[in-house]
Amino acid sequence: MLHAAFLIPLFPLAGFAVLALAGRRLGNPVAGWLGTAMVAASFVVTVIVFAGLFQQAPAHRSFDQTWWTWFSVDRLHVTAGILVDPLSMTMALFVTGVSTLIHLYSIGYMEHDPQLPKFFLYMNLFVSSMLLLVLGGNLVMTFLGWEGVGVCSYFLIAFWFDRPSAASAGKKAMIFNRIGDAGFLVGMFLVYERTGSLQYTTVFSRLGHVSGASLTAIALLLFLGAVGKSAQLPLYPWLADAMEGPTPVSALIHAATMVTAGVYLMCRINPILFRAPDAAHTVAIIGAVTAFLGATIACAQNDVKKILAYSTISQLGYMFLAAGVGAYVAAIFLMLAHAFYKALLFLGAGSVIHAMNDEQNTKLMGGLRAVMPITWITFLVAWLAIGGVPPLAGFWAKGDVLLNAYGFSPWLYALGALTAVLTAYYIGRCYMLVFSGNARWVEARASGDGHGAVVSHASTPPASGHAQEEADTSNPNVSHERVSQRELHPHDPAWVMTVPLVVLAVCSFVGGIINLPFHPNLVFLERWLDPVVSRSLFNHHFGAGTQVLFACVDAALAVLGVGLAIALWRSAVDRPEVEPTFLQRAWFIDFGYDRLIARTSTVFAAFTSAVVENRVIDGAVNGVAGLFRSGGGVLRKVQTGYVRNYALGVMAGLVVLLAYVVSRSVS
Amino acid sequence: MIASLLGALVGSVASSGAFSIPHIDYTAILPELILIGGALLMLAAGALSVRHLPTFAYTVLSAAAGVAALVSGIVLWEKIHGKGRPFTAIAHALSIDGFSTAFVILSACVIIVSSFIADGYLRREGIAGPEYHALALLGASGAMFMAAANDFIVIFLGLEIMSIPLYVLAAMDQRRAESGEAGMKYFVLGAFSSAIFVYGIALTYGATGSTNLAQIAGYLANNVSTNDGLLLAGMGLVLVGFLFKIAAVPFHMWTPDVYQGAPTPATGYMAAIAKVGGFAALLRVFFSTFHSLTATWQPVLWVVAVLTLVLGAVLGLVQRNVKRMLAYSSINHAGFILLGLQAASASGISASLYYVFVYAFLVLGSFAIITVIGRRGDRDHAIESYRGLARSHPMLALAFAVLLLAQAGAPFTTGFLGKLYVVEAAVQSHSYALAVIAMLTGAVAAGFYLRVVFVMYGQGSGAGARADDGAGVGAGVGSAAVPGEALAGHPELAMASAPGGALEVAPGGAGGAVASGATATAGTLVAAPTEPDAGETAPAGAGGAPSPARALPFDLAPTTAVGIAVTVLFTVVLGIWPGPLFAFVHAASLLF
Amino acid sequence: MHGALAGGLLATATVPDALTFAVAAIISVVGALGVVLSRNPVHSALMLIMTLFGVAVLFVEEDAQFLAAVQVIVYAGAIVVLFLFVIMLLGVDRNESIAAEPMPAQRWLAVALGVLGLAEVILLARGKWPTGAHTVAGPLHGTGQANVAVLGRSVFTSYLLPFEITSALLVIAVIGAVVLARRPRGSGEDVDPSIGPRVDSGEIVAGGGGSAGRGGAGAGAGSAGAGSAGAVSPEQSIQAERAAGELVTAGEPFGAVLKEAEGVSIVQRRES
Repeated sequence: MLHAAFLIPLFPLAGFAVLALAGRRLGNPVAGWLGTAMVAASFVVTVIVFAGLFQQAPAHRSFDQTWWTWFSVDRLHVTAGILVDPLSMTMALFVTGVSTLIHLYSIGYMEHDPQLPKFFLYMNLFVSSMLLLVLGGNLVMTFLGWEGVGVCSYFLIAFWFDRPSAASAGKKAMIFNRIGDAGFLVGMFLVYERTGSLQYTTVFSRLGHVSGASLTAIALLLFLGAVGKSAQLPLYPWLADAMEGPTPVSALIHAATMVTAGVYLMCRINPILFRAPDAAHTVAIIGAVTAFLGATIACAQNDVKKILAYSTISQLGYMFLAAGVGAYVAAIFLMLAHAFYKALLFLGAGSVIHAMNDEQNTKLMGGLRAVMPITWITFLVAWLAIGGVPPLAGFWAKGDVLLNAYGFSPWLYALGALTAVLTAYYIGRCYMLVFSGNARWVEARASGDGHGAVVSHASTPPASGHAQEEADTSNPNVSHERVSQRELHPHDPAWVMTVPLVVLAVCSFVGGIINLPFHPNLVFLERWLDPVVSRSLFNHHFGAGTQVLFACVDAALAVLGVGLAIALWRSAVDRPEVEPTFLQRAWFIDFGYDRLIARTSTVFAAFTSAVVENRVIDGAVNGVAGLFRSGGGVLRKVQTGYVRNYALGVMAGLVVLLAYVVSRSVS
Repeated sequence: MIASLLGALVGSVASSGAFSIPHIDYTAILPELILIGGALLMLAAGALSVRHLPTFAYTVLSAAAGVAALVSGIVLWEKIHGKGRPFTAIAHALSIDGFSTAFVILSACVIIVSSFIADGYLRREGIAGPEYHALALLGASGAMFMAAANDFIVIFLGLEIMSIPLYVLAAMDQRRAESGEAGMKYFVLGAFSSAIFVYGIALTYGATGSTNLAQIAGYLANNVSTNDGLLLAGMGLVLVGFLFKIAAVPFHMWTPDVYQGAPTPATGYMAAIAKVGGFAALLRVFFSTFHSLTATWQPVLWVVAVLTLVLGAVLGLVQRNVKRMLAYSSINHAGFILLGLQAASASGISASLYYVFVYAFLVLGSFAIITVIGRRGDRDHAIESYRGLARSHPMLALAFAVLLLAQAGAPFTTGFLGKLYVVEAAVQSHSYALAVIAMLTGAVAAGFYLRVVFVMYGQGSGAGARADDGAGVGAGVGSAAVPGEALAGHPELAMASAPGGALEVAPGGAGGAVASGATATAGTLVAAPTEPDAGETAPAGAGGAPSPARALPFDLAPTTAVGIAVTVLFTVVLGIWPGPLFAFVHAASLLF
Repeated sequence: MHGALAGGLLATATVPDALTFAVAAIISVVGALGVVLSRNPVHSALMLIMTLFGVAVLFVEEDAQFLAAVQVIVYAGAIVVLFLFVIMLLGVDRNESIAAEPMPAQRWLAVALGVLGLAEVILLARGKWPTGAHTVAGPLHGTGQANVAVLGRSVFTSYLLPFEITSALLVIAVIGAVVLARRPRGSGEDVDPSIGPRVDSGEIVAGGGGSAGRGGAGAGAGSAGAGSAGAVSPEQSIQAERAAGELVTAGEPFGAVLKEAEGVSIVQRRES
């Protein structure tokens, strides 16, 4: 039973292979069903393996499955294989589960897109990579998955490549991830350097011999990788731009699975983090600050997907906060809960966007409650879940994180609590704007001044001349003449799209039961993960009274946020006083990146090339690019095409070589 | 020079009284004999047949000769393996050991694959007659002689037997003027380097009293010279001759012109077989014969390797012609292979051997695909010709992507393992700086491989395919800088750091290149349209639409497809499951 | 090598030996300089004969009479005569233009590097032969065997394989010559003119100016004895050369062939 684990990443990979070879022949929607079936099969296998693992005694729930020795050089033996343990299987379970639902949803969402086979091709490859990432038995395998999801993410964000903004968002994601990956790589090699292995089990058993400073460095470097992948400060801007991709992609990659890879990595290396408290504190602080920052930005966004994107950044911050304070179970718990409700939010948003003919601006929606009941209910559940209203999943998960944060530092708790209010508020704002109030989209269409929806990119790829305008959907001033050509009849989507919504809503509602704090027998998740994290768990003992008190406070915070949202946005559409420009512009951080770094580097570039031209090259890395460019120009001049010049080159080389030999010869 | 050398030879044997023809072990030279015989058979068939034989017949004959040589090579391998020790043959002129047999096997593989690849080209271009295949067979026999040579004279003759067919093959396409020019350049410079090489042999003979590699090694081991000037001069000149053949900087300058000008399948064959023969002899002579002089030649190879790595990577980035780009790529690869020799250790030799194996298949496959895409007339080699290939010919694009990524050092390919092994060997022999440089250049080079991949897969105008020269440079460097700094160099860097670099290049233009080089962070942000000289980039928007209207469709012959498939499978299967090839290479270097 | 040899030989040789060596060496070197310095190619070829004769004398000096004879017969007799044929067919009245020289310092650098390289070799050798066999010609003295016998013995014993595989080299040379000289089959009917020019000598040049290169290749091949020299059809070469010259004066229509940056590409270029 357990040996079937190798099938888990293999099924989506097989799907990828089939789609790559015959995707176009299978066509639409067979390719979609095939892709979904493969992921579903993977989910079934995961459940079986999970069940098998569950039957083992807790001490025997971790084993390496080695497929083959990939290569061995010197001391380094890298095997291709996976590590099956409660942590990896938990991850695999929710990755395959959520992915199956999102694949199902995508069949409906992408049904008119002629590129559907390619979409599922990337999606399957993505799932396969993600499973490799979480199941990988050593850092190399994890890194392969890490790169794989990065590449798939690039392709999927830039899926509608004919929008320039999509293409550039794809690149931005790739580049920000790349910085993180550099950290991951260096960290990986430091691990090898210090422990002589890359296999998780071996590495963790040898940590005793590694100095604290090294461990801190390793943890921080790997954290850099996690920061890039999970969009934390300062490498978060790509995630907001990544919303250019199709909505199911946003749901799958940028909410439920890929971005949680960083959190997973932090939990996976918990023995290292445990021995490197400074690094752990850094993780916690960056997580808390990111959570707060993301929440504030989300409060002022108008694009429904941007709101959710910043919300994701904020929620990931919570998870890092949990991991940083040593509450790994809380981190995983929140990750699971978040996967449910954030996927639900995105899929709900996708339904709305679909219904509004690809309009994403919440200010142009409103009143959809009546026409899209299923979407409305499920979105409401998601709101309350993410807001932390008891007894939904978010309440338990967030409560767990906040409690642990308090045990670590009241300041981090305060920041987290503030963020909790904001969370309930900004999703509430989004909800109110979309589902209640007047049906502004009707006016927009009636007035005919172009505030309406955009013709679907999926069904009719626009000419490049229009791409620029259409990309900028968040700007309400952009006019679209073609809007009136299509009737707008918002309605709930087909069953393939509603079924995932309902399933996810149920999960969001009752997800909390996997880790209820009332009784030691009810903390299923904690006991399940115990073999993996027990030795590094940061143990706080709170009395029952304290726990209840905190639960009450959490509930109060959630209700406060919900109330604020209702009070402020029940009837209003524009409230400039709570949507300050600096929040709309994301604290000017993105702008600052573009301006400050790009500008300075341009100046620096000019300086560098000046230096190069003056031939005062000090081989600093900074100059290398300029050096290569102009150097390439100079060097290629040698390539004159004349044999006599080439022969001269040979002769020059010979003379230099002989000169050296003269200096070496004995006598 | 040759004459005076012959004079010297006369002297060395004059005193021996008895005259007996040495025993000729035909099994030892069977692979070479098969290839030469195959070539002669082909020529005879071509001359004697009443009607022209179809080109395919010659392909079959050539491939059959290759297979027969492969089989006899494997038999030889088993024989050595069974005996457990290498032996010399034909008056010690040949040294039949695992090392030479491995290269013999590789040469046979090269000839088989390249026969298939050339078939499509010859039929497409309407080149009838056995000459192409006959020359290729003879050239491969030269490489085999070089690999098995135990005597400088044999090495020299092998070198010429290998090179002259290459000169002719390069000049073979009479429809394109560049081809004749390429052949001429290669020939003149090749003759020049051969002269230097022979001079080196003469001086070495003068210093040691023998041309036999084993005897020279014995002499050097048993004598402490008080004046080794002559010997060192000879060694230096010999080294120059080898470095020319393997296209190491600064003796590389023929490479881009010749690779670009030669008929594309011939380029692939040339790149593979010249590296095979050149490295076989170079590794043997320097690691085995001149072993006692390691301290002297090691620094030379260090410098040459650095120059080769850097120049190949840097100049490859500024190319727009794919054949020329791969020429610089082959220079870069030569640098990597030199890394193993520079390590001067058993593992280094084994790593170099592995790399040559891997490279031969990679380059054959790559040029096979370039042949196909060059279309009839063999002219469409601009990088623009590859735009949108993934759409029109997904399998071909996938194959090329695999081969290019393997050359860039992507994991799960043989290319990755090859780079890993040579770098590891360099690290083991404490050449840390060299290892780091190698990895950095690998990352830079990944920029141009990936550029082609992105052009193939970039769907249109706006995506990141249209890479500016400089931007590519900056991208590669910028993204490679961070990990490269901190490590003693590992191949994953190339994979890890370069894609981002390659991706970022489109909008930033040349200014972005320098900016991205400034720091990796900065490089990531140049997408903002604040670059002053973004105008240098070709108009990417509306004007960038590819011209899909091709005058001629591709013509992928089944034989060529088989050749490509073999190289791709070799690359991927042995990248994922590398055990057998490693075992083979390891055994080959043990039986040295 | 001769420079290096000079020190070794002059140190121990008798006066007549030394004198012979000096005279032969001077003849060789002067001849070699003449080859590269004469403006007229025919003079160059004749100077080459002088060098070869000088070398032949050196062979005699080292008791390698057979080699000396072969040197004169094969090199001076056959190869240089072939050179002369080619030169005459191409026309002696045309000077090579080196006006289009991308590297201004090419000539001086070439001279400097040549001198430097030679100096380095001499410096390294310093007239000492560490093998102990003082001259390589040693065993030829007083063995009582004929020169040819010694050579033959050597060729059929220890150098049997090299001797035999030289035949492969000759086969290759013949094939190469045939391949380069023949016109492609079916050049008329199945070649689309938009892809490549029909291979007539005139049109080759119009297509890209490389025939000049091929002509050069032929000449070069002869110089190294590889055998592909005579294969280039004379008319073709001449026409190619002329056409190339005309096109050059007409303004570089094919300036971008096989080179890296802007500039000129083909190697051998003559003015009409």
